[in-house]
Amino acid sequence: MDIEYEAEIIREVLLGNPQPFESLVREYQRPVFNLMLRTVNDVDVAADLAQEAFTKAYARLETFKPGKRFFPWLYSLALNVARDHLRSQGRDFHVFMGDPAVMSRSEDRPDERQFVEDRLDSDKVFAFVQEMAPKYREALLLRYKLDLSMQEIGEALGITVSGAKMRISRGLEMIRDKFKEVSDVR
Amino acid sequence: MSDRNEDRLLDAEIIKNVRRMPEESVPFDFSNKVMAGLEPKTPSVWLRLKLWLTGPMSLTFTPLQTIPALACLIALVMLGAMQMGGSVLDEGVRLTTVQFSLSDTNKAARTVSVIGSFNDWKTEQSTMWYDDKHGKWILEAKLPPGDHEYMFLVDEAKLVSDPQAAMTRDDGFGNKNSILFVNGDHEQPI
Repeated sequence: MDIEYEAEIIREVLLGNPQPFESLVREYQRPVFNLMLRTVNDVDVAADLAQEAFTKAYARLETFKPGKRFFPWLYSLALNVARDHLRSQGRDFHVFMGDPAVMSRSEDRPDERQFVEDRLDSDKVFAFVQEMAPKYREALLLRYKLDLSMQEIGEALGITVSGAKMRISRGLEMIRDKFKEVSDVR
Repeated sequence: MSDRNEDRLLDAEIIKNVRRMPEESVPFDFSNKVMAGLEPKTPSVWLRLKLWLTGPMSLTFTPLQTIPALACLIALVMLGAMQMGGSVLDEGVRLTTVQFSLSDTNKAARTVSVIGSFNDWKTEQSTMWYDDKHGKWILEAKLPPGDHEYMFLVDEAKLVSDPQAAMTRDDGFGNKNSILFVNGDHEQPI
């Protein structure tokens, strides 16, 4: 969805017609819901938190700056909802999934590969990513799965552009080190 | 296989797998539930005015009505061009050629890129070439005036500040971005 179209939707909503907001919900519900699922590992709670994130975005729409993409702003709000929920549960924003391999669909699994590819199977990477501190995990997912620019990642995570690139660089390094550690043990 | 090559291959595989991270489907009827909880907004007069001023507007006119306006516009453009000695086309953002370089006499790095505020910190089209004669990595770029933050990305993994930059800016995460100041005809490190 391009910026102009999003701006037109937001304008309509601010003028008193909430219906176009549904287009934004449909467009971004999947990444927001999956962020919550990574955080709480419970489908029902994740759906409630995702709904809360969209409701807050709607309530604060007046503060959205026109000319920017809606998604980084929404993601920033969603991350705050996730943090607040964990704090209310007396937990830190650092949660592991029970068994990430369960989430791996068979069609995603690679065939025989060579050398590094043979050793680095998808399930292992998924597990490493899930186990990372959220600030690194979300930066990697925003960059490589959701294709956000460094500027947008900075906006979504509330950090500078150089902070975003450091998080990604450090995130890759952490997975690499983890992989080497596991390989060495074997 | 060298450590660097292995790291590079690992990074490529990690990125490929992150792209394929599985996602769960959103529960049925999710968007309807969100929408059911929203009340229409009641914008203030000020907000309505702001939206009206900043929103797109359409004008309706006939071709006949545009002739006087076009004539005035052409006359103004011609007058301006005459007064500026025909240099109208030279106006606009002036790009200045700058050269980034990173000394590496033994060619220890395999690849080096310049990433910065001018290319959204992306490595595409910012790969430097190695100058064997002078033992350094080089890249020339055309940049608009202003100060530009940048760093070198060595072997697609390690971020290095420019040791020649006279000024750096803390990025808040223990690293220092180098700053290049481009001023009109020539660049100035500040």
